[in-house]
Amino acid sequence: MAVNTRILPQGLECLFPKTIHEAVQMLTQYGPDAKVVAGGTDLLVRVKQGLISPAYLILIMKIPELINITKDECLRIGAATRLCEVLNFCAADEKYAAMSEALHSLGKVQIRNIATIGGNLCNASPAADSAPPLLVFDCRVKLYSMQGERILNLEKFFKGVNVTTMASNEIMTEIQIPSIQNGMGSAFTKITRVSADISKISCAVAVERRGDLCASCRIAMGAVASIPMRVRAAERIVTGKKVDVSLVEKLGQKVSEEINPITDVRSTAEYRRKVTPVLFKDVFWRAWQRAGGKA
Amino acid sequence: MGKETIQLTVNGETREIIVEPNALLINVLRDELGLTGTKYGCGIGQCGSCTVLVNGEPVLSCLILAVAVNGANILTIEGLAKPDGYLDPVQEAFLDHGAIQCGFCTPGMVLMARDLLNKNPAPSESEIREHIKGNLCRCTGYLSIVRAIKSCAQKRG
Repeated sequence: MAVNTRILPQGLECLFPKTIHEAVQMLTQYGPDAKVVAGGTDLLVRVKQGLISPAYLILIMKIPELINITKDECLRIGAATRLCEVLNFCAADEKYAAMSEALHSLGKVQIRNIATIGGNLCNASPAADSAPPLLVFDCRVKLYSMQGERILNLEKFFKGVNVTTMASNEIMTEIQIPSIQNGMGSAFTKITRVSADISKISCAVAVERRGDLCASCRIAMGAVASIPMRVRAAERIVTGKKVDVSLVEKLGQKVSEEINPITDVRSTAEYRRKVTPVLFKDVFWRAWQRAGGKA
Repeated sequence: MGKETIQLTVNGETREIIVEPNALLINVLRDELGLTGTKYGCGIGQCGSCTVLVNGEPVLSCLILAVAVNGANILTIEGLAKPDGYLDPVQEAFLDHGAIQCGFCTPGMVLMARDLLNKNPAPSESEIREHIKGNLCRCTGYLSIVRAIKSCAQKRG
């Protein structure tokens, strides 16, 4: 049956909770017939394509408690904060370089003016561009339900393609980025088919250096496994070691071994495995330069 | 499913419209209001031909629920030219540089160009290409479009 993306094909009801609490009450009440919508740039596409057919849309894009960026002992971002706002904030502080590079390359202007950071994570595409930088920054997410709230490390949030460990009665309310040390350098790059496209391969690195020694290193890859992933096996190789060209070569090979790419519409498993070490090296050296104080 | 009454200010005119909950902004603009300058190209956020400005910011009207923009200020391509009929400098530039072939991508392109020049009066070629990368054109190969936008930048200098 042909898909008509001109319209939302089925009737549905839109609900406008005014608070997070109202939103989770509605989600609990309507259960699997309801979907939470913030920006809707991923969700509405899936409704149009007939992949999901919610009877109720719980629209949270205007709940004030979900839209904010505050900095205290960590950086807190409301889950319904638009990507353009998060980008503006991160671009003003070079500590968040990987995040601003990722958000700048996410989609296009029109998408970033609607889409939200919580939505990018909850949609849980393995190619979600905000995920690799948030993973290398050890991000946590706050989830809220009628039973209360819990905080989860982002690494434990992703479970599979478009699948998270969030319970069906939970809503993401906040993204928390722990305080980033001065002197940490980070970077992000994605590879695409055309300029505005979902990633084929993406990579984020965050490093701290003491002269030529790597004090700490975090590596995350996107679009090369069923979830955005940290590559701890590679991180262990470099931590505490003197960084030189041959070590970074070795790291790139290790990252390539650790990923689990598939062949899909955007790329082949072979391409992803071959190009990953090249991409990784570019991103690593850029993060390394930044950690050394050379932007 | 109950219909909703929403209020939209479109190209300076405020009106009340009755919509279904599943109505998309693009269809309200085109079918209810007869403003067919905004185009349906892909429906899934990839081509940019449905671009309009909501509260001054470019967005994709094919992915926006009408009920979600209740109370908003919307500018479509029809609202860009001045009230006295004089064209916006971006529109003049597109005409001068042959940046319109079939014209289908043009409304989205022109609105993105206007948005860019409002924020960055003298963009470089790469800044221009970056800003319009979400708007696909099957005819021009983008060269004439980029030249048209660059010419506006130079004029403001």
